[in-house]
Amino acid sequence: MASGSAAPAGGGGKQRNYLNCIRATLTAAMCLENFGSQQVERHNKPEVEVKGNKELLLNPIIIARNKEKVLIEGSINSLRVSVSIKKSDEIEVVLAKRFMRFLTQRAENFVILRRKPIEGYDISFLVTNTHTEKMYKHKLVDFIIQFMEDIDKEISDIRLSVNARARVVAQEYLREYQ
Amino acid sequence: MSTSEIDHLANCITTHAWNGDRSKVAISPNSNEVMIYTKKGNTFELEQILQEHDQVITSIDWAPKTNRIVTASQDRNAFVWNYEKNEWKPTLVILRINRAATYVKWSPLENKFAVASGAKCVSVCYFEEDSNWWISKHIKKHKSTVLKVDWHPNNCLLVTGSSDFKCRVFSAHIKVVDKELPRTVFGDKLVFGEPLLEMNASGWVHGVKWSPSGNLIAFASHDSSLCIANVSNLPPTIQKVNLRGLPIRDLLFLSENSLVGVGEDCNPLLFQSEGGNWAFVSEIDKKSEQAAASGDSAAGNARKLFASKVTLGAESVTDTKLETQHQNCITSIRALTAGAVVSDFSTVGLDGNLIVWHTKALEAKFKELKIK
Repeated sequence: MASGSAAPAGGGGKQRNYLNCIRATLTAAMCLENFGSQQVERHNKPEVEVKGNKELLLNPIIIARNKEKVLIEGSINSLRVSVSIKKSDEIEVVLAKRFMRFLTQRAENFVILRRKPIEGYDISFLVTNTHTEKMYKHKLVDFIIQFMEDIDKEISDIRLSVNARARVVAQEYLREYQ
Repeated sequence: MSTSEIDHLANCITTHAWNGDRSKVAISPNSNEVMIYTKKGNTFELEQILQEHDQVITSIDWAPKTNRIVTASQDRNAFVWNYEKNEWKPTLVILRINRAATYVKWSPLENKFAVASGAKCVSVCYFEEDSNWWISKHIKKHKSTVLKVDWHPNNCLLVTGSSDFKCRVFSAHIKVVDKELPRTVFGDKLVFGEPLLEMNASGWVHGVKWSPSGNLIAFASHDSSLCIANVSNLPPTIQKVNLRGLPIRDLLFLSENSLVGVGEDCNPLLFQSEGGNWAFVSEIDKKSEQAAASGDSAAGNARKLFASKVTLGAESVTDTKLETQHQNCITSIRALTAGAVVSDFSTVGLDGNLIVWHTKALEAKFKELKIK
């Protein structure tokens, strides 16, 4: 895998190309196997988090589309996917932060969610060989792609509703002064 | 005759091994136990559970002639089990490694076995009569964890695959155990642990195998490629076959010209050589045309769509089940019949399925699959 950023071809379905590119990379990076630690005896740690030995890590890949990007770091027994959400204005910055905090506080229920995102990104997933042994790989990839699509939709929905509520509140308040 | 038989033995199987007459199979259900199943008619019955290891068992090998099982685990131990009085009794193995053991294989004469480990070395173990235990000699010279080993038919050469991107051949000749030194293409004077050949790969080497004659070495690496090296003459000629899908984990030579690779694609892949040129022939797990055609109909699809909307809140029809018989990565492949051409082989995967494939029935059903 070579490192670098990949911009999709122009035309219709730009987001489709972007997500297909991420899907292909994730399917390849999710080939994980159970690997006992080389550093500490009898231990089994996700190598992408420990970063103990360079030869066990794959080259990190960034797939970017304008402001939104995805960082995929792979290793022999674990995979870390970090997503940076597109935020078009100040309101979305605040909303994204709150939404991500809501999710990361419930990281245990999510199983593959990482409690703290990587520097420079909004949210991170950590998939280990135990996850791929218990769950279908293609469904895990589907989940992450679906998650990315839903986040964008959710945040724009929330922003619209925030603006709508602000307008209604302002109307009611200023009615006093009409 | 059916092309394959499928048995669900556990939630997730990491490795398996058959006994000499193929009536029993030992599997590791991704835990620290070995489960021994006996084939009764069409089903498998659990016969015994061997519990001695503390951590997950990474590899099992069953010696067909001497009926001994060797197991290796991430707790840096290995045990040799002997069948006495209807029970399997463990014998101590002094591996002297300080990291996890990743793979174990009996030598063809079953007087030695090799253990690959995360301590960047391979332990070749032999039995010491006086102390009643197995002692080891180390092959170092690896820069990272050794993932797989395989023995040459002459009982003295060992090929190893490692996560330092290299496939190496070593001499594993032990004076005490091996009576005579075989003549090999690498020379007559073979010192134990001496590296005889080093081949580069572009990824972690997951699977290594000698061909039945010992003239070819096949190694599969994580960059989704399969290399076949012809070592009948030095320097070896290496051929690289790029795979269409995901990496291969384990290999099996069906004959000198046919090779099956299994891995993350959940589908055994057949490779064959035409006069020395190796190429991918076909996948072995194929749906016949009629089964595929009768699957989809407009009404059936609509019903599936509404069913998934009600139960899962899903907007589109997504199939959770894979089309292949294995639902998750295939971890191990074993030959069932010995001889010049292997006609049956078995695969186990992380989905917990043990599938036995019959090549004669596959050849009859699909014209392209001809095992030479």
